[in-house]
Amino acid sequence: MYVGQAILRREDERFLRGRGHYVEDITLDEPIAHAAFVRSPHAHAAVTRVDTARAVGMPGVLAVLTGADWTAAGYGEAEGVWPVKDMSGADARTVNRPFICTDGVVRCVGEIVAMVVAEDRHQAQDAAEAIAVDYEEKPANTITARALDPDTPLVHPAHGTNEVLVTEHGLKEETEAALARAHHVTEVVVPTNRVTAASIEPRCYMGHHDTVNDRYTVWTTNQAPHIVRRYFTKSLGIPEHKLRVIAPDVGGGFGMKLYHYPEEPLVLWGAIVSRRPVRWVGTRSECLLGDTHARDHHTVGRMAFDEEGRILGVKFETLGAFGAYESQWNASITNAYHFTMLSLAYDIPAIHTTVRGVYTNATPVDAYRGAGRPETIYQVERLIENGAHEMGIDPLELRARNLIPAEKFPYQTAIGIIYDSGDPPALMEKARALCDYDALRAEQAALRAEGRWMGIGMVAFFDMAGAGPVKMMNDLGAKIGCYDVASVRVHPDGRITVFAGSHSHGQGHETTWSQIAADRLGCDIDHIDLVEGDTDRVPMGIGTWGSRSLSTAGMAVYTAADRVVAKAKRMAAHMLECAAEDLDLADGEFTVKGTDRKLSFAEVANASYHSGDRPADLEIGLEETSFFDPADCTYPSAVHVCVVLVDPETCAVTLRDYWAVDDVGTVINPMVLHGQVHGGLVQGIGQALMEECAYDPESGQYLAGTFMDYAIPHAEDVPSFGLDSHFTRALGNPLGAKGAGESGTIGAPGCVANGVIDALWHLGVRQITQPMTPKKIWRAIEDAGRAQQ
Amino acid sequence: MYPFTYHRPASLDDARARLAASEDGRPLAGGMSLIPTMRFRLSSCSDLVDLNAIDGLAGIERHEGGIRIGAMTRHAAVEASAEVREAIPALAALAGSIGDVQVRNRGTIGGSICFADPAADYPAGILGLGASVNTDRRSIAADDFFTGLYETALEDGELVVSVDFPVPERAGWAKFGNQASRFAVVAVMVSLAGGAVRLAVTGAKSHVFRVPEMEAALAADFSAEALEGIAVASEGLNEDLHADAAYRAHLVGVMAKRAVRAALAP
Repeated sequence: MYVGQAILRREDERFLRGRGHYVEDITLDEPIAHAAFVRSPHAHAAVTRVDTARAVGMPGVLAVLTGADWTAAGYGEAEGVWPVKDMSGADARTVNRPFICTDGVVRCVGEIVAMVVAEDRHQAQDAAEAIAVDYEEKPANTITARALDPDTPLVHPAHGTNEVLVTEHGLKEETEAALARAHHVTEVVVPTNRVTAASIEPRCYMGHHDTVNDRYTVWTTNQAPHIVRRYFTKSLGIPEHKLRVIAPDVGGGFGMKLYHYPEEPLVLWGAIVSRRPVRWVGTRSECLLGDTHARDHHTVGRMAFDEEGRILGVKFETLGAFGAYESQWNASITNAYHFTMLSLAYDIPAIHTTVRGVYTNATPVDAYRGAGRPETIYQVERLIENGAHEMGIDPLELRARNLIPAEKFPYQTAIGIIYDSGDPPALMEKARALCDYDALRAEQAALRAEGRWMGIGMVAFFDMAGAGPVKMMNDLGAKIGCYDVASVRVHPDGRITVFAGSHSHGQGHETTWSQIAADRLGCDIDHIDLVEGDTDRVPMGIGTWGSRSLSTAGMAVYTAADRVVAKAKRMAAHMLECAAEDLDLADGEFTVKGTDRKLSFAEVANASYHSGDRPADLEIGLEETSFFDPADCTYPSAVHVCVVLVDPETCAVTLRDYWAVDDVGTVINPMVLHGQVHGGLVQGIGQALMEECAYDPESGQYLAGTFMDYAIPHAEDVPSFGLDSHFTRALGNPLGAKGAGESGTIGAPGCVANGVIDALWHLGVRQITQPMTPKKIWRAIEDAGRAQQ
Repeated sequence: MYPFTYHRPASLDDARARLAASEDGRPLAGGMSLIPTMRFRLSSCSDLVDLNAIDGLAGIERHEGGIRIGAMTRHAAVEASAEVREAIPALAALAGSIGDVQVRNRGTIGGSICFADPAADYPAGILGLGASVNTDRRSIAADDFFTGLYETALEDGELVVSVDFPVPERAGWAKFGNQASRFAVVAVMVSLAGGAVRLAVTGAKSHVFRVPEMEAALAADFSAEALEGIAVASEGLNEDLHADAAYRAHLVGVMAKRAVRAALAP
């Protein structure tokens, strides 16, 4: 069996030796031209003149294109992947992110106004600088909390409001009643900071128009190439069969590389106009500004407790940022992934939430590793933490009293979602033992007596992973079918190519999909190759996002492989003159049970293609495809505990320990799982302590445009993680697997925040807005000190 | 990057001649600040005169008066130098706190002080240790060298050749780095030599500065406790994403004490 083994990643040989093949590495027979973009320097402005005259004649310039040219060419608009209706039943006031400014108004810094295509990058930049654009600045707002204030400038005045949509979910009356009769009510204002993925590889696109065959090719840093192909039908109007989308090695996606970004159709447009392949490689600054940002919720939460600290109900009111436009999937974050998970790992009888999507003059927001759930967990857990302190109940004890007991599964939350399997108390007990909780509390007390500030943070939560089945996701708003696809092609020599509609940009599918296929096919893992990321080679795919690939594409591999085995067994049975049911397949051989009569898998594969001696009704060939629609989402769960030390002088936070106990169902490769948890934790820790897409509140200028100001965690900022697990099988897929890609990221922000608050509670600090930087912690302590005087 | 002509002279005289002949030439040392600003198109020059091929500009010498460090000496070399670690360990600590390994392997002391970034570490080392900066024309005292935001006393075409550090009886370095860039939010170099104390702060204003009240208190009693109650006014201190003026003023006090404790550490 390969499944369950910590097999070294087959793709790492090329990655570790610098031999990965990324969009920037692609070479073509023709020389590749380069694109450069003119971007708005203002958060909100009328564009009164775009003068390209000087740029057109500059050295190396092949094309200069503006919004007027886009409109003249008759090209289209972006389309939302996941539109959601307002609770009134009306459509949301959606304005999709423009590819290039066509209406004479720019609404966030970085919006594209013009494009230059030139022989080389420097010539393109020179010409872009020579384009004269006149702007008339308009008042702007980048702050989500202010979006609906009466005097706030409107991002889209035609709508008369900055509100995109309002939705309510849960049990309103029951929640109000719980708050009214509660022994104690905790209230916390919990904004979730705006962050971005900051993938190691910036976004890059290359477009090519084959005028001889009238076909188009786009190479893209994208997680879902077939979905990109779908949206080129809207942007450039290219039919799906005319376009090949290739997503080769991609250096990190995290949801951020899921969208049909403006630069993607623009480079192909540039290629069509200039009759040359055109490439754009985003600079770090272009990407920190123009990659979708994430989170940016402003939430007020209230939680009702009884005398014993049992949670009676919880109510949230959230403003969820869209930025200046709908990116493509953003409506799904608050309306499919955020509210659904508000019960976390707790048995909460009444939950109610109101979410208002709002426009601000900032970069569009969209999904980033966790998408909605980091906000949810952070918000709920901050209330639980403060509630425990306010009521004088040990925070772990209070949580333990509220966990969903194992015998209640499948468990339907007050918000309506059904968790198929889990055992939160077991996770909590493992976490308690792993961290030696009582000893930590004793240490905290001893250190506090010495004037040293130690905090213990924790969270207990469920995730909604494995987006699917199609019907459920359609019902939540998705306009794409949330299944996935795999083909298993056995070649006549018995070797196998697997084609999958998922895309690996760090996940390690070449290893894990091969582990699944090798087990099902009874073959050596080295006899399997994986193909992903090419719409001309892979029949269809929905792509890798939302911790879904294992329970959709992985299951498609499993299912297609089983179909191959079923067909091969019929051929083998014919050749061995036995019944197919009498055959065993293992170690590359079909054996007639109880005998030594056998045939190699390769012999059967060869006969499948080249022998006329076969069952009359058995089609030639040995290749099967599965379009796999899972029975349910998957619901991984976890308990995290951390220890933080806050320097009483500088207020810098040292994250000393971090433990995570996960339930992700069946594990394909524990090393890959740990890698996912580690990476996720670091991103969540970054959100908690340092990452922020900061804007100047007055001018709307972007302040975090380089890594000199956008802080991401370094290796030295995180401890060695202590991981454990307690697995319960997922019921929605035969593998029993649950998604594992987001657990770390979604739990860490709340866990670390609770640790910091726990360290400072005795000083009177009750809440600090993330990221909890030394500056803000110092200020919070100063303010708390003044308040106590 | 805007186009420029690249030069790689083999001698200081040749470098000077090429700079003098250029319309708007700039010398290139480690390039850890200049190259990124050029890549951002925030700065440009007609000619880039690379000093890396000139012999004799790099190296560390111990002599009777102190330590001489060549302008092209890399931060990593200062960090690792047995002479520096023995004579002025605080200076080795400063060098070791700059940027990351790649930056320290490339960046130079001369480049750092000529660029005069308000958050650079070496300016505090120069001022706090009372070094003198030797150029191809003269020697400039630390107190006269840093004159403003990205500004120094250097004249057009004047090249730094080396820096002379006197050996103090005690010196201490304390740095609080920005979470993103790891540049100093506030860093302090303090030294005690012949009863005189120098305490220099970088990261907090347009350029490195001394704090006379702290120096006086430390001259009377060289201990962290002597700094108790001496606050630096927040007026005029830098404000950015990572620290406002009030927090910076607080950090100056914290880092000054830590620098003194480092100086007193056995």
